[in-house]
Amino acid sequence: MTPSTHATCKRLPVVWRAGTRWLAGLLVMSLAGSAASGDDKPSKRVVVAPVAQAMLKTYCSHCHGSQGKGGINLSELESLEVREQLDLLNKVQDQLFYRMMPPAKSEQLNEKDRVALSGWVRSELQRHNASKLDERLSDPSSGNYVDHALLFSGTIKDKAYTPARRWLVSPQIYDERVRDSLHLEGKQRTAHLGVLNPFLLPERSGVRDYDLTPLDGGHFVVMQNNAAWLASRVIVSLRIKTGDIEKQPNEKFLLPTTLGDKAKTPTMPAFERIVAKKTPPSDEELTAAIRFQFERVLHRPPTDSEKAKYLKFTHEAIEAGGNLAGLKKLLETVWMESEFVYRLEFGAGTPDQYGRKLLAPREASYAIAYALGDKAPDAVLLKAALEGRLATKVDFEREVRRLLADTTHLSGPIDPLLSNSGESTHPKIVRFFREFFGYPMAMGVFKDIERSNGFYHNPDHKHTQTPGHLIHEADLVVDAIVREDKRVFETLLTTDKFFVAPVENAAAKMKALNEVYDRFKDAKWQLKPGTKKAPSWLSAEDLEFLRKRIHPAANEVTLNLVMRHVEHYRKKGLDPHPQWSYAYGELRMLAPHANSYNIAPPDWAYPQRQPFEVQHRKGILTHPAWLIAHSLNSSTDPVRRGKWVREKLLAGVVPDVPITVDAVIPEDPTKTLRQRLDHATERQACAKCHHLMNPLGLTFEIFDDFGRYRTQESLEHPDNIVAKAKVKYGADTYKTAPVVATGRLDGTGDPKLDGEVKDALDLIDRIAKSERVRQSIIRHAFRFFLGRNELLSDSQTLIDADRAYVQSGGSFKAVIVSLLTSDSFLYRK
Amino acid sequence: MLDRRRFLNASTAATGSTLIAPWLEPAWADTKPGKPPMRFVFLRKQNGLFPSVMPPTTLSNEEREKEKRKDAYTLDLAKHELPAWMKPIESHKSHMAILQGLSGMMCGGGHVTYSSSLGVYKAAPRLSSIKRATVDFELARMFPSPLGHIELACSHGCPDGVITGNSARGPQQTNLAYGSPKIAVRELFKSVSSDPNEQSDYQLKRLAWEFMAREQFALAGELQGTERAKVTTYAESIAETRARDGRLEKMSEVIRKNLPKLDAKYFNSTITTVDRQWGHLEILLSTLISGMTNVVTFTLDLLGTPYTGLKGLEAEHVDLHGIGHHKGVANLSADEVRVIIRTHHMSLVDALIKRLKAVPEGDGNMFDNTTILYFPDNGEAHHSSGIEWPFLVFAGRNTKLNIAGKYIRLPAHGREGHKTLGNWYTTILNAYGNAIPHYGDPDLGLEKIKLDPKGPIKPFLA
Repeated sequence: MTPSTHATCKRLPVVWRAGTRWLAGLLVMSLAGSAASGDDKPSKRVVVAPVAQAMLKTYCSHCHGSQGKGGINLSELESLEVREQLDLLNKVQDQLFYRMMPPAKSEQLNEKDRVALSGWVRSELQRHNASKLDERLSDPSSGNYVDHALLFSGTIKDKAYTPARRWLVSPQIYDERVRDSLHLEGKQRTAHLGVLNPFLLPERSGVRDYDLTPLDGGHFVVMQNNAAWLASRVIVSLRIKTGDIEKQPNEKFLLPTTLGDKAKTPTMPAFERIVAKKTPPSDEELTAAIRFQFERVLHRPPTDSEKAKYLKFTHEAIEAGGNLAGLKKLLETVWMESEFVYRLEFGAGTPDQYGRKLLAPREASYAIAYALGDKAPDAVLLKAALEGRLATKVDFEREVRRLLADTTHLSGPIDPLLSNSGESTHPKIVRFFREFFGYPMAMGVFKDIERSNGFYHNPDHKHTQTPGHLIHEADLVVDAIVREDKRVFETLLTTDKFFVAPVENAAAKMKALNEVYDRFKDAKWQLKPGTKKAPSWLSAEDLEFLRKRIHPAANEVTLNLVMRHVEHYRKKGLDPHPQWSYAYGELRMLAPHANSYNIAPPDWAYPQRQPFEVQHRKGILTHPAWLIAHSLNSSTDPVRRGKWVREKLLAGVVPDVPITVDAVIPEDPTKTLRQRLDHATERQACAKCHHLMNPLGLTFEIFDDFGRYRTQESLEHPDNIVAKAKVKYGADTYKTAPVVATGRLDGTGDPKLDGEVKDALDLIDRIAKSERVRQSIIRHAFRFFLGRNELLSDSQTLIDADRAYVQSGGSFKAVIVSLLTSDSFLYRK
Repeated sequence: MLDRRRFLNASTAATGSTLIAPWLEPAWADTKPGKPPMRFVFLRKQNGLFPSVMPPTTLSNEEREKEKRKDAYTLDLAKHELPAWMKPIESHKSHMAILQGLSGMMCGGGHVTYSSSLGVYKAAPRLSSIKRATVDFELARMFPSPLGHIELACSHGCPDGVITGNSARGPQQTNLAYGSPKIAVRELFKSVSSDPNEQSDYQLKRLAWEFMAREQFALAGELQGTERAKVTTYAESIAETRARDGRLEKMSEVIRKNLPKLDAKYFNSTITTVDRQWGHLEILLSTLISGMTNVVTFTLDLLGTPYTGLKGLEAEHVDLHGIGHHKGVANLSADEVRVIIRTHHMSLVDALIKRLKAVPEGDGNMFDNTTILYFPDNGEAHHSSGIEWPFLVFAGRNTKLNIAGKYIRLPAHGREGHKTLGNWYTTILNAYGNAIPHYGDPDLGLEKIKLDPKGPIKPFLA
């Protein structure tokens, strides 16, 4: 068995312990089945139990008997080879689980029969270790498998807990841990280090950081190189300090070796002693070094057993290579400890009557710190842990509220990988919503610049370009709403206020530009394009006027640029755009990405305040970043958009695409995408899944794949060209057809909301009022802050979080406090 | 009939060569005796490779017109003269192909493309942009070896250490490259080094990995379920790295026989860039000949590589970026300096081929089973768009590619029959047994005009 499959199999019991009622029923059946069979050899054939035989005959054999509809013949199940039997049973299990069979027009299984039949199927598959559904249950894509209504019904009284675990650190936490381990402060804290980040969260729409990822060979390759670099920096810095070697001119990164006080207190005394020593170090000296490195890297002293093992190893290393090489290996090895890159949460103390242990105070301090940010616990949290003040829900609440109210400690860039990432006081909260909505996925969808008529610039090797701007602006919307912290979900879904190419102090800058223009409009300010140096003609007073308003170093060349800029807008009767300097001095380079909002700079009455109302938009699902993230290279993607709404907002489940299906919409130059999609998915075999997605996703056809609102769809096909592009990167003009964006909402559980919808804007209005949608977002927040799928036993945690949201008037911070003080967060088992 | 061992002895005696084809003497457990593996060398240069410098100099007027119009046509190189900068490889003309007309628009252009030119996607200096294993890694998996793959580089500023490479091990996994002959020798040949310091360093590494693997396995033993699996995976990774070294230790005799022959100058911090490249070539040859790897990627230069030691410009510090912006050096124009650099690259290729030809293998020599690709990192110019991506290909007689001895210009971008880097790499992968339908990202511009250039370039498959 490979490690990965091993890991998957071992994970399953956790899920099954608290699955849905359906799952719970199956578990009973499964255990009963196993006990009854008395033989779990995988090679044993599947024998159809009489009760199962009867149900298959009643409910299935009409279509899937000898006539074998869809190639499925259940009447020959017993005569098949074992492998074929298991394949068939997996198909049956999926159909029952997703409630795709029996079809609506046929006789339906009652709940008791469904549980019984499913239980038999599952027990047979489990007996052969062949259940494909099981493999998927703890996967992030299976979060919705736990029945939503049951989860929020209040009938589940199980005590919540999270399984004891190692949770691999995120890339941001790794970076912080590395810097912590070197005790870097001040400027050095943000210095470029010679280490590569071995971790990367998966690129997907939805919560990305689960506790499932193991540390693997790929991580090891990078970690060992990093460890070698880190250890070498310690050794080189100390050798320079002790005079063993001289500092080289190209030495780029040295560690501080003294605290900078008058006494020149050494920062690494235990290491320094060994570096300076010409004879092998004593046990005492080595033990001090081992302890020092453990505390720097793992933030704890070594256990006695670790001390003994490391002592023996370091002695051997010193014997083989001398003091310096031996010490270096010791340092490297501790940096390679798996504990350095795992978050450990096992609980401590005496288990309660449900077998749960409260997080140990130290674990609790890290759990809280990493739930809200990337940094290790601050001094207050550590002190609370040391003093035993992280032992109750009240303690947790005190610390969580303190950190949520702190506007400096956790502040930082939302996404350091964006060329223009914004900052937030709590970037991790914004990150939840970016993962939930999935709009950063826009970065990976490449577009043809010519199709966009020249405005869309794909990310290049260094800049994140159009999608980078749009993602940043979506971040700003989220951050503003989260800071307001009122009716957060509803506002995120329905706001018509957007940030588009925001400029700081825009109103003041526009006023200054107008003042400069008015003062100099009758002067001879014109220069030939490209002039870099101009004769001085501005008086001292003029210069002061100009410099006060535009730039402290402004001159005649600057004035020329400013005047040209304002003149352009004045001619059009508009206030000037507050940004007067742009790439190559070409106005077309001024915020071209705004075209995604149907705003066409430079001819744009720039708003004095941001965010501002943008027409035909309603919340993040109409933000160009989201629309592009959920589009294809050359077209919209109604299926993906519908799937997103079904799964993320309606807590629904859409089965995987069968591997036999080539999910391609056929070309037809005479038809719109909707017409082609309808045609491709109208067959019953396709429709049974597509009815879950298409009626939702097609409502977004009012936007094209660049995020622009539209009423006509361009039938982009060479046969439909009406006029060829006349300029470089210009778009050809095609025949068009009217957009039809009607759809249907179902699954809110609220008859006032479900029903036919006019378009996405209508859909969003209804969705924002749905209780189920609110609860679905809470479920995703749970996954984000807990790093796992919810279990049925987390029911009370979710109900409490939902109540906190409602009672607080829609505060997301109230949700966070509720989640981080829940039994699910506090207890391990 | 001679058995393999006797054949080896006989051929060594006959040639007087001390070099040995290691596949004949399987030195590590997984090697199967018999058919030698195929080997691949990727030589990447930066600053573009102009399509205009590639055609033979003896084109007819008609061919010249075709070249100008970028029409598809093929020439027999035997009937033509190579451009002057290719003179060092004149003697390998029958084994080479000049391939023109490929495009790589999906890689993005500009100054530098990172792993794009080998992975056929638009890469950036961030892990998340890496979409897949680059083609060199795909080939390394098809022809396994103890080290799998080696990357060498004369990178920005010529650093000495292990640096971030421009190949990718898999999606979102970068590779590491050896920045200088010094670090490459130290890391790759430590196990057989006669230097006591190197040996002790190697033993220390061995000691550390064995200790760490033991500790992690012990920790896993105390755990159950998922937690056990998580720690076991890590312990196994460490153990596997140690096992790989163990396999190299078993090969120590053959590695020792093929150690790179580098004198002290190659280990000096003042080494010129040209010597650095020659040093890397020695390492490349050693690792291939000893069987440590079957695939090597060598970044000959990047825009930030300070070029020193070029013939005729020994006293100069050539700035490649300046050359890209038509800035001359000494009394030479930028184009003349480009010729000097490319000619030097061809001297490296010539030496590589000759040395491989000197190693007996099967009924021929090691070059018979080797393919060398020389190509630009970023396409057709200093500031490229990727609309053209010229290649020089050198392949021995057992090649599965039907292109030897030809100048091939494929249909230009946007025309029926046009081919991309993706088609080219699909061809190579298909030819050697990876049946992938298409490797790399699509070209959206071609999709827009309903051209669907997926799959291999069929005429190239032998």
